[in-house]
Amino acid sequence: MAATDHDASAELLRAVKQARKEKRALRIRGGGSKDFLGRELNGDVLATVSHHGITAYDPAELVVTVRAGTSVTALSAALAAHRQMLGFEPPEFGGRATVGGTVASGLSGPRRPYAGSARDFVLGLTCITGKAQLLRFGGQVIKNVAGYDLSRLMAGAMGTLAVLCEVSFKVLPLPAAERGLAFSVTQDAALQMLAGWARKPLPLSGAAYHDSLLRIRLSGARSAVDAAAAAMGGDADGGDGDVAWWRQLREFDLPFFTAGGAPLWRVSLPPAARPRLPGDSLVDWGGAQHWLRSEAPAANIFNAAQNAGGHAVRFPLGEGESGGVYLSPLPAALLRLHQKLKTAFDPDGVLNRGRLCAEF
Amino acid sequence: MKNKKHRLLKKLRRILPAEAVLGDEEQLRPYECDALSAYRRLPMIAVLPDNVAQVRAVLQLCAREQVPVVARGAGTGLSGGALPRTDGVLLVMARFNRILAVDEHNRTATVQPGVTNLAVSEAVAHLGLFYAPDPSSQLACTIGGNVAENSGGVHCLKYGLTVHNIMEVKAVTMDGTALTLGGRALDAPGFDLAALITGSEGLLGVIVEVTVKLLPQPDTARVLLAAFDQVEKAGDGVAAVIGAGIIPAGLEMMDNPAIRATEEFAGAGYPVDAEAILLCEVDGMAEEVAAQMETVDALLRQAGAVHIRAARDEHERALFWSGRKGAFPAVGRISPDYYCIDGTIPRRELGRVLRHIKKLSAEFNLRVANVFHAGDGNLHPLILYDANVPGELERTEELAAAILQHCVEVGGTITGEHGVGVEKINQMCTQFNARELAQMHAVKSAFDPGGLLNPGKAVPTLARCAEFGAMHVHHGKVAFPELERF
Amino acid sequence: MQTALADFIRETPRGREADAILRKCVHCGLCTATCPTYRLLGSELDSPRGRIYLIKQMLEGAAVGAATQLHLDRCLGCRACETTCPSGVEYGRLLESGKIVAEQNAPQRSTKARALRRLILAVVPHEKRFAFLLRIAQKLAPVLPRKLRAKIPQQRAAPAWPAPRHRRRMVVLRGCVQPAAAPAIDAAAAQLLDEHGVSLLGAGGCCGGVALHLPAAKKGLALARKTIDACWPLVEQGAEAVVVSASGCAVTVKEYAHLLRDDPAYAEKARVVSSLARDLSEVAAALNIIPAIAPRNLRVAFHSPCTLQHGQKITGVVERLLEDAGYTVAAAPNPHLCCGSAGTYSLLQPELSRQLLKNKLRDLHTAAPDLIATANIGCLLHLQSRTATPVRHWVELL
Repeated sequence: MAATDHDASAELLRAVKQARKEKRALRIRGGGSKDFLGRELNGDVLATVSHHGITAYDPAELVVTVRAGTSVTALSAALAAHRQMLGFEPPEFGGRATVGGTVASGLSGPRRPYAGSARDFVLGLTCITGKAQLLRFGGQVIKNVAGYDLSRLMAGAMGTLAVLCEVSFKVLPLPAAERGLAFSVTQDAALQMLAGWARKPLPLSGAAYHDSLLRIRLSGARSAVDAAAAAMGGDADGGDGDVAWWRQLREFDLPFFTAGGAPLWRVSLPPAARPRLPGDSLVDWGGAQHWLRSEAPAANIFNAAQNAGGHAVRFPLGEGESGGVYLSPLPAALLRLHQKLKTAFDPDGVLNRGRLCAEF
Repeated sequence: MKNKKHRLLKKLRRILPAEAVLGDEEQLRPYECDALSAYRRLPMIAVLPDNVAQVRAVLQLCAREQVPVVARGAGTGLSGGALPRTDGVLLVMARFNRILAVDEHNRTATVQPGVTNLAVSEAVAHLGLFYAPDPSSQLACTIGGNVAENSGGVHCLKYGLTVHNIMEVKAVTMDGTALTLGGRALDAPGFDLAALITGSEGLLGVIVEVTVKLLPQPDTARVLLAAFDQVEKAGDGVAAVIGAGIIPAGLEMMDNPAIRATEEFAGAGYPVDAEAILLCEVDGMAEEVAAQMETVDALLRQAGAVHIRAARDEHERALFWSGRKGAFPAVGRISPDYYCIDGTIPRRELGRVLRHIKKLSAEFNLRVANVFHAGDGNLHPLILYDANVPGELERTEELAAAILQHCVEVGGTITGEHGVGVEKINQMCTQFNARELAQMHAVKSAFDPGGLLNPGKAVPTLARCAEFGAMHVHHGKVAFPELERF
Repeated sequence: MQTALADFIRETPRGREADAILRKCVHCGLCTATCPTYRLLGSELDSPRGRIYLIKQMLEGAAVGAATQLHLDRCLGCRACETTCPSGVEYGRLLESGKIVAEQNAPQRSTKARALRRLILAVVPHEKRFAFLLRIAQKLAPVLPRKLRAKIPQQRAAPAWPAPRHRRRMVVLRGCVQPAAAPAIDAAAAQLLDEHGVSLLGAGGCCGGVALHLPAAKKGLALARKTIDACWPLVEQGAEAVVVSASGCAVTVKEYAHLLRDDPAYAEKARVVSSLARDLSEVAAALNIIPAIAPRNLRVAFHSPCTLQHGQKITGVVERLLEDAGYTVAAAPNPHLCCGSAGTYSLLQPELSRQLLKNKLRDLHTAAPDLIATANIGCLLHLQSRTATPVRHWVELL
């Protein structure tokens, strides 16, 4: 293992214990790449980056175990050396994204509808709860149903339940071939085409629509990719160029994200929804994820998302903080359950207070 | 007790039609166990609701009366998850057997929990879609049970477990609250509660509706049968296939006793002299499948396969699988009873674990047949015993415990897909420490503070572990040193 | 499964057989999925696994209440569960024993129920009485209410029975209901075999199945002996097979050897008759019928009777014969499910029987057939009672 490998779990545990004793709030932070995400940031920074390194990796098992402070970029490089990858294609945020933050925020890239989400690839983890206990849930094997699946519960919980220490992922082989296709069509036509293809066993690994262009990415065995491309038609949009485009999409490097403008939202919908969203959008995930730039009030956007069968998340990338707005509101019964679960893990509200919901 | 039962029966008959409330021993006896018939308990009462309002009313009544409730689907579980309580109500969900909606555009199906796993795929086959998880009992097991147990199957290396294939779960908690967990989009706001309830073994809520994800049927699926003269060589073959970057749709292994038992039932053409066979299925586009079949064939030959045969057509493919899918009960042909274990191990440990099982089998003087989801390391040793021989079940349980212990020691887990139920409750103490178990109890309390839903399953009480730990001292260490001994 | 049979039965032949069957069951529950009554009622007690449990309790000495009898009565005896069972549990035989023990030990049935059973036993297995009543009913049909009228089969002309002219001979069991209700079937079979070098000679009456399933074991066995006696001279004269055109009777005749194994006077004859017993489809398949050259432009939905597919485990044979004869055999969903006829089930459990019939006809009609074919007289009459699409025995179509 590299010289920077370091097990800082004891220090992290100590810090949580101390904070709990002093009734201080902690704000868990890895590379800081997602400081913009969530309702608000409260408390003293608990830095996880020093908890770093891959602790187990056996390519033939398709399983890797890695400390939470490790950068996603470093992990991906280690996997790529064995022609493997993280199936959910998380954004790397210029090398700043850590494994812990990636799992805690549950962010997944363009491959998500076809391969699965961050949560889908989590096999097990160790974490430090707000009660300052270092616990292990799940395991390092692909199938495991012993006890409640508290490891997957951590994915997307925004660090409100526990500090992630070490995560085991199922990994996938890198596809032997990858290529892009592009179609100049209207958004309605694009969504219709996507719905048709989604019912065929095509080796899709990305489908996005923006600026009157439907882009498709195919991944898999060379023969399958070529046969699918031939069957689907469209223009091949360049060899390496399209790979770069998908990378830019994943990394929020496309002009849609970088040029600024109205506040940015992530709207998550059933893939065949034909939403009426107020503003300019870029559609990813084969229709299931709409990136929306809109000046509309939050309530309108939450409503529009709900009417289309989904929900919205404020995603103030490059805009500073979210101003206390984050998620579509939870129904009362669910909110009560969230509060109880928060109490079950972090009774004193030490961890990432207020980041997910105002109520805890 | 008798009085209490009488009172409760009267109240239940106000909620449900008389024929849906069972209280006589004669009627209750057939409900005393699920597919793990070694554990049997007569329920106090069984009810068969057919709508959600009835389920809510039953739960509210039982919460008020402080009566435990155990939910049951088709009763095909292998860990005793639906084992009734003598002081409780058995909530039979089998009448919730309607497919409510199929959304072909969003590729989902919304079904009641008593719909069988296979019925979902059958209902959407004409759309070119299917529901991927396929536990061996898929003909009979229900979706509600699948969610409760996070069921796997022979195709989950590629297509995932139940948790990866459901979108939304509607559940009712013990106090009668109806919850919608997850949603129709690919994610939902807040905690991932759909993931949490999946595999929670009926301890958090009663599942009343499930929206599952449907996948496009692959163009082509081909299966190849490879025979080996040594189990280890088959294990090497598995590692070689995965190592080559191929994710087979199914990769199954059976050892000789399992081959012999199933061949008699299925007539699948398994070579009965082989020490092990591998069934390797690849699916996808025709071009891809053809290329992968060649690669797999070459890799398995290299690993030492003595005989390889690809299924010639769809009929033979189904035949190859029919043997595997009927493997457990087919063992009923060679032994009056069997006890199925569900440990998962890192694949690399396969050879070592099988050798260890062989040793233990001789030690305990009980035959063991092994069926193995080789792709994902899920091992199903079937211990053959005769419940009519006094002491044999006890010996079987000891052997099972020893095997599971070994699975944990090599880095695996006590249950890959069957759940803990009552069967592996003691082994949970080996896999988790007291704090971890306490955390699970805290989660349980968030849903069911009175602890009335399926109590005594899945997560052992710390007292139970202390008792169990006192008997099992491993590597010179006493488990749970932090706990007082009783 | 663990068993502890009670003293009253443990050491009897019936007890030993039941114990062996029970111990094969591993309680996996796969059988529930293909059980028609479980699918309708959703209760473990109305599933094969539940009934096995009820029988087990009873044989282990528990008191037998009305519940056990009710749920055993609701069983169609279709044996779809046997086809599904990977453990090889012979449910049909266990059920037979279970019903007999229940009949002896359960509280007496209601007066009405007993009267109905007596009436069935007094009429159905007696071909002359049945024929007489049927003729009256057919005459009265025009003035009967429509619902009742639908249940009365119409008289259809039967083709002439060819005179025996071949050296190869087979016996055909005439049965009880069939000669009166659908005489065309055996005549068509005789013609078909005649064209292929085999003369078919009719013999015997009721096979005993109806009585055995009721259960009226004594009467059933008496009818079985009578059938054996009727066939025996022809068998001795060298008949190659005992052909049965109704699959429900075929499965019973094949069981004679088992049923009469402890009867010193009949065990050997029963063994011979059972070994010669053939479903008509088995005989036809062996005839090498020359396939039709041109399609007949008719779609046939084939309802395989439970006694054919589950009882005798004959699958795909009739379908092939029909295809060879130029028909398009249209697949229908749920081919493994019972139509609800099941011997006397439609009389004893009319409500469940009606639901099963409705579902079966819905499934068959999804194939948009011109004709429905089946292989058992009971199913034929039952199906025809609720559909305008002609229902025929497959041999009538060849």
